[in-house]
Amino acid sequence: MPEVSKMKKPDVKVVLLGDMNVGKTSLLHRYMERKFKETVSTVGGAFYMKQWGPYNISIWDTAGREQFHGLGSMYCRGAAAVIFIYDVTNWQSLAELEERFLSLTDTANDDCIYAVVGNKADLTDPKAQQLQDSDAASGTRAEGTLESTEPQVFSACPTPPASPASLSGLMLHKQVSPEDAKAFYERILRYKGLDEKSSLPADKMCFETSAKTGYNVDALFEALFNLVLPFILRKRNEIQVSPTVDLEECRGGGNKRSRSSCC
Amino acid sequence: MDRDNQQADEAEGGKICDPPADTLATSLSLLGNHMFPERNYIPSMKNEEHNDSLYETTEDQSEEAQADDVTKPETEKAECFECQESVSSPPADRGLEDATCPADSDHADSGEFVVTMLAKAKLEEQGLGVEGQSSPLLEAGAQDSPGFASHRDEDVTADSWRQHRKHVFVLSEAGKPIYSRYGSEEALSSTMGVMMALVSFVQSGDNIIRSFYSEEHTVVFLHKEPLVLVCVSSSRQSERQLRGELLYVYYQIISMLTQASISRIFEHKKNYDLRRLLAGSEKILDGLLNLLDSDPSFLLAAVHCLPLASSLRDSLSQILQKAITPNLVFSILIARNQLLTIVQEKTVIEDTRLEPADVLLLLNLIGASSAFQAGEIWTPICLPLFNPDCYFYAYISYLDPPECTVCLLLLSTDKEAFYAVAECKRKIEGAMVAQNSLSLIAKVQPYSVSQVGVSDLRHFMYKPFDVPDNHRQLTQFTSPEMEAPYSSEEEQLRLLDLYRYMHSRIHSTSRPLKLIYHVAERETLLAWVTSKFELYSCFSPLVTKACAITAITKLLRWIKKEEDRLFIRYPPKYSTTPNPSKSSRAGKSDQQDSTDNGFLSLL
Repeated sequence: MPEVSKMKKPDVKVVLLGDMNVGKTSLLHRYMERKFKETVSTVGGAFYMKQWGPYNISIWDTAGREQFHGLGSMYCRGAAAVIFIYDVTNWQSLAELEERFLSLTDTANDDCIYAVVGNKADLTDPKAQQLQDSDAASGTRAEGTLESTEPQVFSACPTPPASPASLSGLMLHKQVSPEDAKAFYERILRYKGLDEKSSLPADKMCFETSAKTGYNVDALFEALFNLVLPFILRKRNEIQVSPTVDLEECRGGGNKRSRSSCC
Repeated sequence: MDRDNQQADEAEGGKICDPPADTLATSLSLLGNHMFPERNYIPSMKNEEHNDSLYETTEDQSEEAQADDVTKPETEKAECFECQESVSSPPADRGLEDATCPADSDHADSGEFVVTMLAKAKLEEQGLGVEGQSSPLLEAGAQDSPGFASHRDEDVTADSWRQHRKHVFVLSEAGKPIYSRYGSEEALSSTMGVMMALVSFVQSGDNIIRSFYSEEHTVVFLHKEPLVLVCVSSSRQSERQLRGELLYVYYQIISMLTQASISRIFEHKKNYDLRRLLAGSEKILDGLLNLLDSDPSFLLAAVHCLPLASSLRDSLSQILQKAITPNLVFSILIARNQLLTIVQEKTVIEDTRLEPADVLLLLNLIGASSAFQAGEIWTPICLPLFNPDCYFYAYISYLDPPECTVCLLLLSTDKEAFYAVAECKRKIEGAMVAQNSLSLIAKVQPYSVSQVGVSDLRHFMYKPFDVPDNHRQLTQFTSPEMEAPYSSEEEQLRLLDLYRYMHSRIHSTSRPLKLIYHVAERETLLAWVTSKFELYSCFSPLVTKACAITAITKLLRWIKKEEDRLFIRYPPKYSTTPNPSKSSRAGKSDQQDSTDNGFLSLL
């Protein structure tokens, strides 16, 4: 039963941050369930456990609403990776990341890695418009992945009525260019006091995705998981795998143990 | 809810002074003329409670009258049968109403004029705001969230917008729109401005505007500083019921933001745009308003629990009882949006009881927010009637993905307790797998009225006031599934409207009744309230009064027999506070801690 298998200890924590309506939940849903559906606004934060090969990755999908802003730092505590998400058609959503969300990462691990993701690329970019099919998805996936990634249903899954823009083939104006995202990534590093040279390059950590078509979604998560893998392994070595969840460990453990920089 | 209503009413009953009708009328007519071209809509005054005043300013005796009604079993009204020749089907048919309440027809001249102007202002103004500013904003909104907001895109000038059965608006005291059920708030900003003008104008004369009536609409105001809520309804519900619904809306907002933080925000900045904080929560309010229309729980202020063999319910309770962690205060199990069982922290329940309204708002929140599959939600939530100023932290998770019908809700006072609480869920899940509970729950069905064995009985709602041995019990009611002829949505709504009408008669502020026998066009209804219960029943149209009474007796006997199955009889408790001796009064004490995590100190 899936519920029983969930009782595993998370190896690593990944947090999704971003303004409301940029598509955090949709992006995660696309990755986890292989489909796009209309979601409602998230309340608080939602916790998901992703079994990635032999590893358990906990993912916090947070609410973008200002109402829940106070909780952000709690969700970020001890995070090994933070995904900043903006909407490529909305400049403000990138600005919000810097204004509201960047400071939430103060509680993340020192060696936390950051990704900057522009979602809704299908609205501005023809190449993001085709539904990605399974081969693209599985191509990027690491070996040993996923007990069962449900037979890739999304080709059959009815795409919800597309927004008028993409239906008519009419492209929206792209408000945020990849260069803007990269510049933001550098500012993150500066904010964190990280050296640009020893950190992951912006090219590698900035993505454009579409939760609706699946464009680049798997690439994003897989790349990120591969990058936190060393962290997982180090943590696993330090703690002998115990059958029960040690709560202190997953909350505070990361902070204490991992000072060396990742990768 | 009642208690709160009463408080509100007491607070509102202030000085009595003559309504400044002339001034009001003049300024409103100015406003009205300025804003709206003439239209063919001519509202007239229907003032049901007080025939000479636009708004109630006296101490509201109705609440007491009502309380009397409930507690004193033998008043002269006790056996007052009201046989109404069925004039026509709609319960609140005007003819019928006028026949029973002759006082209604008196209209004070100035009052009527004022109301005419008010109603004009109210019901015709919507056109204005739109031309000016709506379109750019509307379009921007639509682009931001395609598919998110079907109601929000509505054209507020269209007739269809006007014809909605019930509109609800929420605004700030500065007149800033916060929420509208239909149409975008931006497009309605001038409408809301007029509403606020009405409120503050009447307020400046040391009065409080409560409601006014036009031919087709009832407009009800609820002023809960710093928010103003307005309902424009053509549903024929009583003013009191509509105000109760507005109160639910208010509490749902409080449940997301807390009263303390709302007051704080508006103290600092009077013209703050609260939509910034509520953005994304519209669905929750939309969902609530739909439930208010379709779910009698809100009308009865009682929780509907799923009928369950008491052995199964007990075993579920025990599972919850065993999975605890410090600072856990409520464990609630829900299936298909109905309560399966609820377990509470001992010291909490000693001090205060869980109000049905809080549970109903929680259920709405769960229904309106979706978690896909294995997601586990952790979110702050305030139980407004328990304590309007503090947050609990709610853990919400479905136990049966992907169907997502059985939902576990755990409330903790500790913001950081997610992993500990999630561990409780693992235990509960494990125990439920071991006992095969999920498949047992899946088999549970709402019951059919035919099980009662009374041939003419079509449907009923029964709400006991007190479950013996436990006066701190959560108020519950029981009701069978709606079956033919009430299978379609329209018919269900019609029956609910009949119930609402009966309810408004029973709880009427001017003439409360104990027992009503009402012959409607397509059914006969009987409502009965005693010190022990409140009952609404629906029979086939040809049933005689005597038959109905016999049937009710049988029904009561049946309910008594099935009590253990129909209700959560003895909600179990657990103790999770490390040091119970520290416990002080939790709940609605006067000393409110305004910090959001103040609960720890209260427990």
